Amino acid sequence: MEEKIITRRDFLRVAAGTAMAATLGAGGLREAKAEPTARVVLIRNAEAVGSDGKVRGEILQSMLDEAVRNLLGTKDSAEAWQKLIKSSDIVGIKSNNSWYRLQTPKELEAAIKRRLLDVGVAEKNMDIDDGGVLQNAVFLKATALINVRPLRTHHWSGVGTCLKNYLPFVPNPSAYHDEGCSPLGKVWTYPIVKGKTRMNILSALTPQFYGRGANFFDRRYVWPYKGLIVGTDPVAVDAIGAHLLQAKRIAFFGEDRALDVPPIHIMVADKTYHLGVSDLSRIQLIKLGWADELLI
Amino acid sequence: MGMDTKIWACFVIMVWIFTVAEIVEGEQKGKMNPEISLPAEAAGWTWDGKEMKYDSKSVFKYMDGAAELYLAYGFQNLWVRRFEKPNQPPITLELYDMASSENAYGVFSFERQDEAVGIGQGSEFGGGLLRFWKGKYFVSIYADGGGIEVESAILTMGRTTADLIQEMGPEPKLVDFIPGKDLGLVDRSVRYLKSHILLNQRFFIAHQNIFNLSRRTEAVLTQYTREKQKTHLLLIRYPSMKEARDAYQNFMGAYLPDAGGKDLLRTEDQKWTMAWQRGEFVVVVFGAPTAADAEALLKATEEKLPGGR
Repeated sequence: MEEKIITRRDFLRVAAGTAMAATLGAGGLREAKAEPTARVVLIRNAEAVGSDGKVRGEILQSMLDEAVRNLLGTKDSAEAWQKLIKSSDIVGIKSNNSWYRLQTPKELEAAIKRRLLDVGVAEKNMDIDDGGVLQNAVFLKATALINVRPLRTHHWSGVGTCLKNYLPFVPNPSAYHDEGCSPLGKVWTYPIVKGKTRMNILSALTPQFYGRGANFFDRRYVWPYKGLIVGTDPVAVDAIGAHLLQAKRIAFFGEDRALDVPPIHIMVADKTYHLGVSDLSRIQLIKLGWADELLI
Repeated sequence: MGMDTKIWACFVIMVWIFTVAEIVEGEQKGKMNPEISLPAEAAGWTWDGKEMKYDSKSVFKYMDGAAELYLAYGFQNLWVRRFEKPNQPPITLELYDMASSENAYGVFSFERQDEAVGIGQGSEFGGGLLRFWKGKYFVSIYADGGGIEVESAILTMGRTTADLIQEMGPEPKLVDFIPGKDLGLVDRSVRYLKSHILLNQRFFIAHQNIFNLSRRTEAVLTQYTREKQKTHLLLIRYPSMKEARDAYQNFMGAYLPDAGGKDLLRTEDQKWTMAWQRGEFVVVVFGAPTAADAEALLKATEEKLPGGR
């Protein structure tokens, strides 16, 4: 069967609520038109990052707890984490520290680790890593993964996403940069990670919504959104993250920049690799906390 | 040979060895490559003496993922130097050999957004980042922090570097064929593109390469303001008329299958898309407010093409 060609017109055509149509200025996310097939929590706290730029660890812990509790619909976060992780699990926390400008906050890594210990995972059976996962004994025998990274634009893939965060699990990451990083979803089908991811977290505390140059960090394009985007579906989490960054670009530049840099790999992860839901109209976004300049 | 003579011979040889090593090291310190001697100092910032060089295979170590952009434009080599000044943020200078002036222009145009500052053959400066191109080189200079003094130093370093690049080179000829300000050309909107991935990064058209873009094709994407609305013009040159015709038909079949054999259509956003093939060129207007606007842009482009009316 011939593969359908997805064009700009498909996004113009789809009813408001899809990732691209929404960024044409149709307004924020609407009520899901179809039955929701993915749940994502967006939680924000105005005190999560201080005026000094420091992350408030205790506030971040409570944000994570509330997000997970709401995501899984449990009475408390302890019950939620027990639904995700068994005490016998070997857990790898796949973080992201490859770019020193914007990394997974240490406070967020600590918050996740704290809850794993609460569930009863032995400390020797958990580890946090990024580029060294293929040499990390915990990751090599992991039965569960927690995927966490900062939300930012990426020079080639469009957005640095949860999907992209698993590139270190392959020995030749550069091979997955073709076609705007479309093959990224393929990494998720490999045995070392397949079926193991229990939670995906995008740190939107200080996201970067636009980038220039390979290594240049333009502070004009970073803003204190003070949020976390949390979900079990990595594609849905990434779709929300991409949508947020695009909404911010439109708000910042004062013009319609929709469809300028679509993160193609998110759509491909859905349509080709069936890793989750990229269509915003099929994502139930639960918004919690601080609502100022929510954007989506 | 007596012992004294042997000792003397060894001494001479050792002196020679150390002297040559010093010369080589000195050359490496003063020059990045045989063609350019880059500054060792600018506005009080001095080079830390370390130089990194990357080629098309190793450049990923320097810029994970981002290297694809430069590779798409024919990247050859990158040299990186770092400059320091007490109590000031360090400055990084990146010199890219893009193999041709057209490619250097392309890299520069791809992300151009800020005001020109008159450095090299084309430049922009904003947010502490200086980008310019001259000849086959693209240069990026930025600081790890802000401030008036460091930004001034970046510009000084840029001018010095540009002066040291002796050769200039032409812009892509294709850029000459697009209509100008009289038709509403938007400043700094001209992008010279070499692949459909680059095109999609600036203006998403289709997931697949429906224009059959390759290393043998070249394209220019630009914006016009028509009736206060942004309209995009895409001009592509193919190696032959046949390839242009094939690409045109491929595009029409994939993007405007409901045009009923016509060359224009009002799309879902209530704007007009129109496409022509003229010789080895394909030219497309996206998002024109009226059919007349679309046709006006195409006609103006056609008149500028080689052999145009």
